[in-house]
Amino acid sequence: MAEVRITGLHKRYGAFHAVRGIDLHIRDGEFTVLVGPSGCGKSTLLRTIAGLEESSQGTIEIGGEVVNDFRPRDRDVAMVFQDYALYPHMSVAKNIGFGLKARKMPKPEVEMRVAEAARMLGITPLLGRFPRQLSGGQRQRVAIGRAIVRNPRIFLFDEPLSNLDAQLRDEMRGEIKRLHQDIATTMIYVTHDQIEAMTLADRIVLMRDGLIEQQGAPLELFERPASTFVAGFLGSPRMSFLPGTLALEGSTAAIRLADALLPLAPGRGLQDVADGQKVLLGLRPEHLTRAHTATPAQGTFRYEATIDLLQPTGSRSYATFRLAGAPVMAELQAHDVSRPGEKLAIDINMKRASIFDATTERAL
Amino acid sequence: MAAVAPARRRKRRSLPIGRILLLGFFLVFVLWPLYWMFNTSIKPSDDYLTVPPVWFPAEPTLVHYEAALFTYRGLDGLINSLIISLSATVLSALFGTLMAYSLARYNTGGRHLSFWVLSQRFLPPIGIVLPVFLIYRGVGLYDTHIGLIIAYTVFTLPVSVWMMFAYFRGMPKSMEEAALVDGCTRWEAFWRVAVPLAAPGIVAAAVFAFIACWTEFFFALILTSRTAFTLPTVFRAFIGFQGAQYGEAAALAIVSLVPSIALGVLAQRHLVRGLTLGAVRG
Amino acid sequence: MLRALGSQHLAEPLSSLLDTPMQPTATIHRLKAAGAPPRLSAFAQRADRHFKWLLVAPAVLLILALSIYPLLFSLVVSFINYDFQVPGHAFVGLKNFERVVFDPVARWSLLLTAWLSGISVAIEFVLGLLVALTMVRSFPGRGVIMSILIVPLFISPVIVGQAWTLLLQRPFGPTNYILTQLLGQEVTIGWMTERPWLYVSLIIADVWQWTPFMFVILLAGLTAIPPNLYEAAELDGVNAWQVFWAITLPHLGPMMLLALTFRLLDAIRMFDTIFIMTGGGPGTQTYTASYYLYTVGFTQFHLSQATAGSWLFLIFTALIVALLVRRLLKVDPV
Repeated sequence: MAEVRITGLHKRYGAFHAVRGIDLHIRDGEFTVLVGPSGCGKSTLLRTIAGLEESSQGTIEIGGEVVNDFRPRDRDVAMVFQDYALYPHMSVAKNIGFGLKARKMPKPEVEMRVAEAARMLGITPLLGRFPRQLSGGQRQRVAIGRAIVRNPRIFLFDEPLSNLDAQLRDEMRGEIKRLHQDIATTMIYVTHDQIEAMTLADRIVLMRDGLIEQQGAPLELFERPASTFVAGFLGSPRMSFLPGTLALEGSTAAIRLADALLPLAPGRGLQDVADGQKVLLGLRPEHLTRAHTATPAQGTFRYEATIDLLQPTGSRSYATFRLAGAPVMAELQAHDVSRPGEKLAIDINMKRASIFDATTERAL
Repeated sequence: MAAVAPARRRKRRSLPIGRILLLGFFLVFVLWPLYWMFNTSIKPSDDYLTVPPVWFPAEPTLVHYEAALFTYRGLDGLINSLIISLSATVLSALFGTLMAYSLARYNTGGRHLSFWVLSQRFLPPIGIVLPVFLIYRGVGLYDTHIGLIIAYTVFTLPVSVWMMFAYFRGMPKSMEEAALVDGCTRWEAFWRVAVPLAAPGIVAAAVFAFIACWTEFFFALILTSRTAFTLPTVFRAFIGFQGAQYGEAAALAIVSLVPSIALGVLAQRHLVRGLTLGAVRG
Repeated sequence: MLRALGSQHLAEPLSSLLDTPMQPTATIHRLKAAGAPPRLSAFAQRADRHFKWLLVAPAVLLILALSIYPLLFSLVVSFINYDFQVPGHAFVGLKNFERVVFDPVARWSLLLTAWLSGISVAIEFVLGLLVALTMVRSFPGRGVIMSILIVPLFISPVIVGQAWTLLLQRPFGPTNYILTQLLGQEVTIGWMTERPWLYVSLIIADVWQWTPFMFVILLAGLTAIPPNLYEAAELDGVNAWQVFWAITLPHLGPMMLLALTFRLLDAIRMFDTIFIMTGGGPGTQTYTASYYLYTVGFTQFHLSQATAGSWLFLIFTALIVALLVRRLLKVDPV
C-alpha cells in the first residue's frame, strides 16, 4: 500500500534520452497504465520505479520515501515480466516462495503463504511442477502468485499479456482486473495495447518520446484527447482526421472543409482561436451514423456519402467514404449499409467531434 | 511432389561419389596415425623393424604400457596432469564465470576490458613464459604444482571468460531481474538464479579449459622439471630415440589422449563456441 | 551428460499437461505484508555496490600478475644483461634487440614461421572447406563421422608429433614401405632429416591436427545459411558452381575470415611438433620463431636476448590481433 510520486525524472542511455522529464503522482490503490508506442519510455519508467534502472535525474518516492538510492530488493515492490521470468530450475512452489526465502522468513510460514496464494489462484495442483511444464496462462498465474505471496507495496506489470494468444489474453486481462478489485494495491502496468489500457486503468498515462502526452481517466482521454496523437492512439478503428480551416462569425463557429461548411455546436468553448486558422477535425467512427430522420438533429451535420469500402464485422460494418477529399470511417449498423458504391446520408455528430490545431496538433 | 522430384534426383547424382571419396580419404587420414600408434603400443619389440611392417601384432602385449607408466614415470606425469589440469579448470571456470557475468550484465569496463582479456588469448606464449620462468625461479614457484596451476588458470581464462560472456549474453536477464525485485542482492541473483541456469555453459567452458590444460606442453616444458612435470612433458624422454622406445611412446600417447578425446567428443555440441571464443553459435 | 544438462530447461513433451483446464481463481485477499528483506550489513552493502568490480577482480588480478607483470618485467630484462652466471645486471640499451635483429638464424626462423604457417593454414582451409561442404547435408552415419573428424582437436600437439614420428621416421615408420608398394618403385625418403621432406612432415602433422578446426567453424557457417536461398536458386535452375559463388561464399565470408585469423594466430606459435619431430634440426633448418627464442633462452641461456626477441615477436602478433581480431569479434557494449 503506497502512493508513488515521480518528480522531474530523466533517464539517459549515453546519447539516447529515453525519459525526458516526467512528473507523475500515482495515488494509493490506483491502477495506472503507462501506454504508448514502443520506444516511448514507458518500460524504462517502470523499470526505474522498480530500481532496475538508475534514474539520471529527478526523484522517485514510494510511500512518501525517496527511493532513488534503494536497491530493487529494498523497495518492496513486485514485478510481473513480459516473459514471466519464472525461475526454470525451481518448482512452482519454490518460485512463489523465493521472495519470502530471500527475506529469511521461517520455513513453515513460507509454506503456509505459498499454499494460500496457490489456493487463491487455483494453482495448488501445479505446485510441484516446473515452469516448463506449465501453459502460458498458468505461468502468468505463478508470476502473479510470486507477487501476492509477499503483499508488496506496489505491483508492477511489464506487458504481461503480450506473449499470450488472443483468447487467453482477454481471459487473463479479466483476471488482472479482478486481482486489483480484490486487493486494491497500487498497480502500475505497462502496455502498448490501447484496449488493455482502456479496460484496466483507473488512470491512463499516455507517453510519447519520453514525455507524458496526456494523463487521466480512460474515458476522459478517449473523449477529450489533448492531441491528435492521443486521439489516434486510443480507439479502434482509429479516429479520422480532416484538414480544414476555422470559420468564426460572431458567436457561431464552423469548420470549412474543401467543399463543405460544418457548423460547430454553439456551446463549444474555443479559446485563443482566429478566423481562418488551420485545424484538423477529428471524427471517431461511432460519431457517424446513418440518417433516419428527415432533417438533421441539432448539432449534427448531414452529408451525402458514397461508400468506397465496406468492412462488415457482424453486428457492425465499418464504411469508409470521402469527405472533402479525405477518407472518413463510419461505424454503421450492419443492416444500414449493403454494398460499396452505395449512396447514403450520414449524420456527423459535431458535438462530439474533436478539433485540433493543424500545426501544433493540440486540441482546441 | 512431381515438381520437386527431378531436382532432388539431380542433387543425388552429383554429390555422392565425390563426397564418399573425399570423406573416405579424410577419415583414413585422421584414423591412420591413431591406429598405427595403437598398433605400435601393443606390438612386441621384435616386430618393430620387419619388412613388410606388422599391421596387427599376432601376440599383443602390454609391456610398453607398463614401461611407459613406471620406468618412464608416465604415471607420475598422469597424476600431476590430473591434479594440475583439474585445479586449473575449476579456478578458470570459476573466475571466468564471475568475470564473464560482470562483463555481460554490467558491461564492466566497457569494451576495453573485454577486449583486453581476449587479447591475452592471442599473445604468443613464448613472450610470457620467459619472464614467468624468471619470476617463478625468484619466488619459488618453479617446478611446483601451484605454479603450473596458476599459469594454466591464467592461460585458459580468456577462453573461459569469452565463452561464458557469450553464454550470459544469450540468456534472458529478466529472471535475474525478477530475483532482484524479489529481494535478492546482486550476488544472490547471480548465484541462485544465473549460475544454475548457466550450468551447461559453465560445464562446457570447463571441459574446454580442461582439454587445453591437459594437452598443454610449452608452459609445462619450461616451468617444470622433476617434480611437477605433466604427461606431455614425459615425451621428452623419447626424443631422438633410435628404435628402442617406440612402444613406450605410443603407449603413453594412447593413455594420455583417451581422457581429452572422451571429454571433447562428449562436449562437441559446444565445440564451435569453444573454438571461436563464443563468437559463433554452434 | 552435457546434452542432458543442456536440454534440461527446454524441451519436455508434456502437451497433455498443458491442456488441463485452469481452475478459476478464488477471491484474492491480501496476505500479511512481508515487507522489505532484512537490511544488509555494512559489508554486504559495500559488496553489493561494487559487485561488478568484485566479480572481475580475481580474473583481472590473475592476468595482471601472470601476464602483464611478466611482460613488463621482460621489457626490463630485454634492456639489461640478465645472465645466471654473471652477477649484476648491466643496462645494455638496445644491444639485445640488435643481436636478435642481426642474427641470421632469427631472420631465417621468422621466414620459416611465415612459410610453414601460411602453407599449413592454406591447406587446412581448403581441405576443411571441402570436407565441410560434404558434411552440410544430413546422411546416415554423419554423427559418428563428425565425432571422428574432430578427434585431432583434443590431442596434445606433442602426441600428434609423436604419432607422425612413428609413421614417418626411418627405419621404423611404414610410410616409405607403403609408398614403395603403391608407386611400384623403391622409396627411401628421410622424412625427418632431408629437405624438403622435413617441412612436408611438419605441415602434414599440422594439417592433420588443425583441419578439423577449419572444418568445424566453416560447417557452422554453412549450416547457418538460410536453406530457402538454395531452394530459390534451385528453382531458378542455377548450377552448383554458381550457387557456390553467389550464395555460399558471400555468406561464409565473415566465418572464413574468423577461422583463418584464429588459426593463423595459433599457427605462428608452432613449437610442440617441431620439438618432438625434428628438434629444430637438422642444424637450424626447422627453427620457427618460437623454437628459436626457446633455444636462445633455454639452451644457450641468453635470456635477455630471448626476451628482446620475444618482445619483437609479440609486437608483430599484437598488430595482427589489433587489426583483425577486434573487428571480427565485434566487441560492442550492450
